Amino acid sequence: MQEYRVMLIEASRIMMERLSSVVRGTRDFQLVSRYKEPREALGQGGVFMPNLILLDIDVAENMQFVHEFVRVFPQAGILCLSGQWDADIASEVVKSGAKGYLIKPFTSEELIAAMDTFGKSGMGTVSEVMTFFSPKGKSGKTTLIANLALALAKRTQQNVAVIDADLQFGDMAVFFNLNPQSTVVEAVRDIKFLSPITLNSYFMPIGEHVRVLCGTKRPELAEGVDPQGLKALVNMARSLFRYILIDVPPAFNPISITAAEAADQVYLVAMMSGGFEIEHMRRALEIFKDWPDCAERVKTIFTRVEPCTQETEQRLEKELGYPIYGAVPNEYLLVSAAANNGRMAVDIKPDSPLARSVERLAIKICNNQHKVV
Amino acid sequence: MAEDIRRGIIITVFSTAAAVGKTLVSINMAAELAKHKYKVCIIDLDLQFGDVCNFLQLTPQKTIYDAQLAMTEDFSGFAAAEYITPYEFQEINFSVLAAPVKLEESYNITAQAVLTAISQLRNAYDYIVLDTTAGFSELNLAVMDVSTIITFIGIVDFIPTIKNMKIGYDTMRGIGYEKNKIRFVLNRSNSKTLIELQDVEQLLEERFYHVLPNEFTTAVESIHKGVPLVLYPEKNNLGRSMEELVGKYTNRLQENSKGNASLSSWLKKFFK
Repeated sequence: MQEYRVMLIEASRIMMERLSSVVRGTRDFQLVSRYKEPREALGQGGVFMPNLILLDIDVAENMQFVHEFVRVFPQAGILCLSGQWDADIASEVVKSGAKGYLIKPFTSEELIAAMDTFGKSGMGTVSEVMTFFSPKGKSGKTTLIANLALALAKRTQQNVAVIDADLQFGDMAVFFNLNPQSTVVEAVRDIKFLSPITLNSYFMPIGEHVRVLCGTKRPELAEGVDPQGLKALVNMARSLFRYILIDVPPAFNPISITAAEAADQVYLVAMMSGGFEIEHMRRALEIFKDWPDCAERVKTIFTRVEPCTQETEQRLEKELGYPIYGAVPNEYLLVSAAANNGRMAVDIKPDSPLARSVERLAIKICNNQHKVV
Repeated sequence: MAEDIRRGIIITVFSTAAAVGKTLVSINMAAELAKHKYKVCIIDLDLQFGDVCNFLQLTPQKTIYDAQLAMTEDFSGFAAAEYITPYEFQEINFSVLAAPVKLEESYNITAQAVLTAISQLRNAYDYIVLDTTAGFSELNLAVMDVSTIITFIGIVDFIPTIKNMKIGYDTMRGIGYEKNKIRFVLNRSNSKTLIELQDVEQLLEERFYHVLPNEFTTAVESIHKGVPLVLYPEKNNLGRSMEELVGKYTNRLQENSKGNASLSSWLKKFFK
């Protein structure tokens, strides 16, 4: 079990006492030294061999010292402390070398959770948000998202989040066989008071690297989700997860539009069902073509494609008048069996054509060029 | 006499899950009613991605967008019937009030405008069939409030769909729609699913009002031909089943006459 030797830098006397008592009271954490300001800590702290530095950055100049702490204590992890969450500042301190950001005052549980989350990989500077949009329901996107999330996590060993913003009838909970205590409704409602660590607790874990924020079980609650709150949630989630996959209600509505705008990539998904799917996709694409970066940012995926061959893809591409990023074959029985049992197709039959096509998509996504957040 | 006033019957075709066959059922109901010489209007309330005109190979002359525009410009002069597009197949005809042509036109369509159109149209038609998008939208709730019958379509494919159907039904009862107003229709039954019909009925604690068989190929053919199944000269199972479904709906005429009989015998008692 990891033993933390903590050095605390905090200007306010009262807050210092408070935080000290929390650190002392936390199992496997030892408070080895404390200082009111960074210079003293840098000069004197070495004697105590800290491996975890908690640095208050509400004092404006303290932020500049993060670099120095990294230099002087290369073996220590640095968590910056602040009274409130600020995505820009968080991003900056992490770029300077801090592992993470913690809201003070914190509890023992939050401190432990912070080290669990940030301890291994550090807070993300790079995060890719993907919104899966479909013109009409029953596009296969929920299945796609669930399986893709698992495939990405397996391939990259990084943290992956699924956010089910298909509020009225989001099926992620059923697909993953979850009975969530908290859903996207509560998370968005509470977002103003949350920080990454506390937001993380609204997600349900699936295995080591995947977490799911489920949609609401009750349609009448869906009304109360504020799109701006959802946007804030997504932005905060960027510091926790390397990949974020968002499921949204079909067609253009405040939620789907907000999630699309907040995303790095938008995937338009439709299921081949012998109807007018291609027309609907074309119609939806017209709206996205207004985006100046549409070509790089908006991709199309068709599901239930049979036969799922290069030839079919080329034919579809021609009909659609837009490139096709991926095609998923028809494996209806596999998908149903999986959904009926709360398991994923990629788990039940990893060698199936469906699983392999999801794998191909995961590889493509991993190789995407990404902007550093 | 009171019985002579035409009050159009409004049938909303609704579901909680997408892709259950609402549009196909809607156009076939309209066509079958038209076949029996009723005046029918179908309104496409899937405003962004409606398929009514696609499935009928119709290019609408005017749409609900034009209707709303006219309403706002000159309410007193507005006549909803001027905004319909006629569908005709071998002397069987019905009217279509189409969804907007452009996506941007769909954003500002209000529930109020739709209700106004419906209230006018019901004076000119025997039946108004409303095709909707899945789910409890403001628009859907508004039209279900004024509907005579809500045809709730479900399919039995896998657990998430059935779960949603159950939640949907419970929600509807919670909203206050009476049991008699909601008619559960199971579509695509006997398709290759892993779930039994009886299990679903048990889960829902409801019997299905009608069950439509699964004939995927026929259905796909129909929508690309632009001809409703019930209008095919050669009978197929699905078409026949749709005809039966509509037959159950039009039996209300029989019910009414029963009602009148009891009324007059009650009146008679008064004058003894």
